[in-house]
Amino acid sequence: MTQQAFDIADLIFGKVVLVTGKGGVGKSSVTAALGRLAAAQGRRVCLVEADSQQSVLAGIFGTPVGYEPKQVAENLYACNVTWYEALHDWVERVVPSKRIVDMILDNRLVRLFLDAVPGNREVVTLSKITWLSEEFDLVIVDLPASGHATALMQSPQRTMRLFNVGPLFTRSQESQALLEHARTHLVLVALPEEMVVNETVETWQTLNKGVPGLSVPLVILNRASRPTLGVDEIALLDRLSAADPQGPMAELLLAGRWEARLEDATGRAIEQIEERIGVKLIDVPRLSQAEGSDALVRALASALARTSERGLKGRS
Amino acid sequence: MTPRQVVLDGRRLVVCVGSGGVGKTTSAASMGLWAAMQGKKVLVLTIDPARRLANSLGLTEFGNDERRIDLSDVDVVDGGQLWAMMLDTQTTFNELIVQMAPNQETAQRILDNPIYQTMSDTFAGSQEYMAAEKLHDVVSTGRYDLVVLDTPPVKNALDFFEAPGRLSRFFDRQVISWFLNPPKRTGLLGSLKQGTSTVIWKMLGYVFGHDFLEDLSDFLLLFQDMYEGFRERHQMVLKLFRSQECSFVTVCAPTEPSVEVAGFFSKELSQRSYSRGGTVVNQVHLCGDVVLDPQVLLGEQAKELSQDLQDWTAASLVARLGAAHRRLRALAAGERLLIQKVQSFSSGFLLEIPRLEGEVNDLKGLARIASILFDDASVSTDS
Repeated sequence: MTQQAFDIADLIFGKVVLVTGKGGVGKSSVTAALGRLAAAQGRRVCLVEADSQQSVLAGIFGTPVGYEPKQVAENLYACNVTWYEALHDWVERVVPSKRIVDMILDNRLVRLFLDAVPGNREVVTLSKITWLSEEFDLVIVDLPASGHATALMQSPQRTMRLFNVGPLFTRSQESQALLEHARTHLVLVALPEEMVVNETVETWQTLNKGVPGLSVPLVILNRASRPTLGVDEIALLDRLSAADPQGPMAELLLAGRWEARLEDATGRAIEQIEERIGVKLIDVPRLSQAEGSDALVRALASALARTSERGLKGRS
Repeated sequence: MTPRQVVLDGRRLVVCVGSGGVGKTTSAASMGLWAAMQGKKVLVLTIDPARRLANSLGLTEFGNDERRIDLSDVDVVDGGQLWAMMLDTQTTFNELIVQMAPNQETAQRILDNPIYQTMSDTFAGSQEYMAAEKLHDVVSTGRYDLVVLDTPPVKNALDFFEAPGRLSRFFDRQVISWFLNPPKRTGLLGSLKQGTSTVIWKMLGYVFGHDFLEDLSDFLLLFQDMYEGFRERHQMVLKLFRSQECSFVTVCAPTEPSVEVAGFFSKELSQRSYSRGGTVVNQVHLCGDVVLDPQVLLGEQAKELSQDLQDWTAASLVARLGAAHRRLRALAAGERLLIQKVQSFSSGFLLEIPRLEGEVNDLKGLARIASILFDDASVSTDS
């Protein structure tokens, strides 16, 4: 059964949005666009990258993004939760003395150990996200690509099994509560390509099974081409192509078939996702602006705003 | 280096690196297929959970074992064989424990240990580490002439290089002996010497809980006879990566993020003195840079061929073709700029593979890509 999709406004006025998807689907752009949109509604927003090597958000907003949230636009902040800083933060909250924290973390063996202890990175990262969610109206997390995102989101469960008492257990409980929170939403970004669609569905199945209490996802189909070519036009396109055209004529028809294929793939992706995940999706068109640019992010934000039935600001 | 040299000249291992979603698996499979068609016995090893290699090779699924691919649809030189395997991290880790443990009882106790179960399953880097393990396994036995490794989709490109080391450091002798012999107060002198580590030990107990530290000690104790084995194997894989028997092929798509990751790999590979075979740019859109008038070129013909269709069809399609061509032309122009960027940092061959009409999901599709990859380094206009 296909449930009604939530309105994009549900995300904007929520508490935490977790964005994931297969690599290369435009996760970071969607994250930034949701951030711009929420900031335009007057919410104080923090965009979070999880231990990103090269901050994509830094590229988009044209300013370095580090561990501490930095203002990148009105109402909009960005940060990169790097693991070592997050660990420092984490231990500092458990061990009250800064001197002892430094002593512990300066020890080479301890660092090697903490670096390698199972699930430690994930728990520390999620804890930081939890704290950020207390500081801001809305936190939007650009999670790593699907496989790693599922590991991250399953980590509180696993850690709670491993440690039955102590601060690590408590923190994992907090993180799990955040994941289960009614105003925490999961966004899966997909593209109208068969393999991406399959992976999106598989990611949801893994998360649905492995992370109890997680809400139904909102699927955003990026770079969609809604069907516009009619049956007759496609028939004519086929006839022209069958006449074995050469040179520039072949190139024009190639462009036509390329467009037709994109439209076809979009139709199939919508059908597959709605059937196998059981939610209606939101689709945004292919945009001409360069990937990773703020111009694209702004265009994406207004495309997302147009899908809302609640009159969001910034629909231009 | 040409693609032929990368795959044939005494190489035993080709490692495909690059970001996800750029046809890395497809490239790996095509290279493997082509080498098999030349008469080599080839294994394609993938860790991609999306099972797409399985689909394109006509298998409904893989297990954690090597499966032979039916090549009857393509021309193969005598002796050529293609095998494929999808690595299951957990199973590989379990097998490795059983293989390396001094006895079966120890093996079972490790497999039952909660720390082991969490670690082998979700531990960041265990995928990469197990890939290296399996590589060591298949390459050292010499069962194959060539192994093509499709690397796991990494969160950070650097993980591919660093994660295995991280796991290996977990087995660092010093870390282990520290945990197996927690500091004890042995007289005044001892406690002075060990003052620092006693505090740290206490704090770790406070952070992680003493139960956990005990579980961990147990686990490390069970493992102690195996550390050396793990470390040695890891060193051997690194040696293999550095040797002339191995070549790295970077795979990317003509998109900004993918090219960036490719550039990063390029830098890392050269810093580590790994042999860089070349770069494959997949999914390239081909389109000239000249404005075309669809009405002039196709207007008449469209009218003729659409007499039995609704009367607006020809005019509408012709207009749509013009618009589609404008979009495709802009896309292709942007891609050309990105490919120039790739050219600036790549070493070895640089091949552009056009985006084929229809998805590559069978052996023939792979063979078609292989023909572009290997026939002639400049072949990139085949549609």
